[in-house]
Amino acid sequence: MEEIIRVDNLSKFYRGFKAVNDLSFSVKKGMVFGLLGANGAGKSTTIECILGTKAMDNGSVKILGQSPQNNRSQLFERIGVQFQESNYQENIRVGELCELTAALYKNPAEYKNLLSKFGIKDKNKVLVKELSGGQKQRLFIILALIPNPEVVFLDELTTGLDARARRDVWQILLELKKQGLTILLTSHFMDEVEVLCDKICILKRGCKVFYGTVKEATESSPYNKFEDAYLWYTDDREDSNENV
Amino acid sequence: MKTFKTMLKTELKVSLRGVDMIIFAVCMPLVVLVVLGIVYGNKPAFDGASYTFLEQSFGALASISICAGGIMGLALVVADYREKKILKRFKVTPIRPVLILFVQVLIYALYALVSLLSLFIVAVLVFGFRIHGSLLQFFLGWLLVLISMFSIGIMVGGIAKNVKIAGIIGSLLYFPMLVFSGATLPYEVMPTAMQKISDILVLTQGIKILKAAILGQPVGNILIPIVVMAAVGVICTTVALKYFKWE
Repeated sequence: MEEIIRVDNLSKFYRGFKAVNDLSFSVKKGMVFGLLGANGAGKSTTIECILGTKAMDNGSVKILGQSPQNNRSQLFERIGVQFQESNYQENIRVGELCELTAALYKNPAEYKNLLSKFGIKDKNKVLVKELSGGQKQRLFIILALIPNPEVVFLDELTTGLDARARRDVWQILLELKKQGLTILLTSHFMDEVEVLCDKICILKRGCKVFYGTVKEATESSPYNKFEDAYLWYTDDREDSNENV
Repeated sequence: MKTFKTMLKTELKVSLRGVDMIIFAVCMPLVVLVVLGIVYGNKPAFDGASYTFLEQSFGALASISICAGGIMGLALVVADYREKKILKRFKVTPIRPVLILFVQVLIYALYALVSLLSLFIVAVLVFGFRIHGSLLQFFLGWLLVLISMFSIGIMVGGIAKNVKIAGIIGSLLYFPMLVFSGATLPYEVMPTAMQKISDILVLTQGIKILKAAILGQPVGNILIPIVVMAAVGVICTTVALKYFKWE
């Protein structure tokens, strides 16, 4: 299968502190890949190093076979990104933000179709800041999809959403996966990871402590539930999971 | 081109929705013009002057919107777009984030231009204003003042740690200039001691250029102001380019 993202020996230091340490993984086409770990484990830093918005100190990254350091304008025609923080102008309307985003790409998707598909077509004229949390997250997925991307990066897409809104987002992502979209996401919700992710990588203080499927993660831990296994992997006690 | 047009259109709408620039960069200069017009009417600037008080003040009025947009507006929007990670978001698109900064510069230049035109129309129609010197020279001077003041705003917004600090620095530059550079309170009515302080302010020098152009005074009189404005523009642009924080 075609390799969409390849990360080799990625390291990033902040003033001597290792934010990401010698991380390698690969994401194949059509896969949903989950990057997991506690706050500060290095998830966002990893995504930013992959996308080239932060310079890595060591290692190499390829997205769609290309280095994101070079050919940025060509490569980012094919990549959709949603960062953890919402990034939009104070007084911008939903339709305007979509239109503005679409204008950045050569062959953008028709954003009005996306708005209706995601059930927020009636919000076209509403200020983005007036949307509910769930509507906002749906809008941010739409923004990431406007380039007609081959791969999307979604950083903590469902943080702050209620159970219903989270379920809705899952449905959307599963639908997109069915259509062959490759997704790299981060999440703090293990139920979500179980439903969505084909493969996961668990980070602890910048180091990879597990890489494989959810099932494998549970099996190679002393627990039956994935959430317990996850906590076991990320637990701070020294004795529990060194060298996993 | 499509990208640029959509960006300009959208950012302009968003900016207009913010309303503050309509008030500070367009309405306020007009209000000051009308007040000065009512107080001084068509009186000559001083006994025996060949030009009116208002003609003498017109350059100053035209600088209000440049100062408001360039220093407060630009500094805040640049810091705000960085803090909201809008600049960062542009980094993961095919478009470079510098384009959105360019669009903002253009928007604030538009505010200044609208202000200039509205001042001109009202001054001519209501107060019998006319340019004694060269229109071209005035426009070139106006552009120089604009570039110089805008470079201050970009620098402040680009290197301030956050929106709050950009706002504080912007205010510290904006309000003294607004009041003491002659932009609102005419330089000519200030006591000599106050004029001396006023001369330190960058905008005061800019206003001298505009005033000389309107009144048809020789360019030789304003060489120092021209050098000062150009130097400020070069220094601030260099600092902004070198130390600009994208995030």
